[in-house]
Amino acid sequence: MKLDPATRDQVLATVPSLRAFAISLSGNVDRADDLVQETLLRALAHIDSFQPGTNMPAWLFTILRNLFRSEYRKRRREVEDADGRYAETLKSHPEQPGRVEFSEFRAALAKLPSDQREALILVGASGFSYEDAAAICGCAVGTIKSRVNRARTRLADLLAIDSVDDFGPDRATRAVLAGGGRT
Amino acid sequence: MNTGKTVNIEPPAPNEDKPETREAVGRPVTQRKGEVRLGREVQARIGQQLRAMYDDVVSEGVPQHITDLVRRLSEQDEGVPQHITDLVRRLSEQDDGAA
Repeated sequence: MKLDPATRDQVLATVPSLRAFAISLSGNVDRADDLVQETLLRALAHIDSFQPGTNMPAWLFTILRNLFRSEYRKRRREVEDADGRYAETLKSHPEQPGRVEFSEFRAALAKLPSDQREALILVGASGFSYEDAAAICGCAVGTIKSRVNRARTRLADLLAIDSVDDFGPDRATRAVLAGGGRT
Repeated sequence: MNTGKTVNIEPPAPNEDKPETREAVGRPVTQRKGEVRLGREVQARIGQQLRAMYDDVVSEGVPQHITDLVRRLSEQDEGVPQHITDLVRRLSEQDDGAA
């Protein structure tokens, strides 16, 4: 698969965001890196089916999401409580240094249904339009909008964000507010 | 490295300002009946946290093993060797002649 340098660079330029998406989906850096690698292997093996000038990130994200989904379904058959396992994965793989400040947010994100989580990330973090996100997830634009909205509502609830005051510079106070039952 | 100009994916620059589309999360979407409407600042704050978390990973750039993998794969030649291609062509031409 001789790849022209422009296409190759386009692929590489997408990798950081693709990786962030994979980590958000799987909640696990190692699994995410495997997902990214598998995605790139498939993408480059089928690079002929990519039309130059179209949306490379959307194409790669679609492949990665489908891979994750099929893997997730497989695991679900093996383990009943797949969502519980996801949360467990988060616990057993502590955040890497420098990521501690996002641990609360990640934990809340992990509690969302996976379709809401991916919709929120694609639109809110990866920077895709609602239309692109719908294409990546294979659903209607309205469905994406609704999922994003429900995800935000649930997150606000989980993080106990009632007012902007909860986000003052006092991290300790914020942790107490967001931590709920923690002692 | 960043050639994805036609798309709204952010290059691996941690402190760069967010593209406009990402502000979508800070904006209310069409409300359906029964859905709770969140305050603007709450929505903005969630969007901000989400992007900060995501960009933290993005700023790590491309892991070396991925760069190596992509370079290796992109430099490989086509899977079918030339002599096989020639053989198949010759055989199919013979078939044409026989028919």
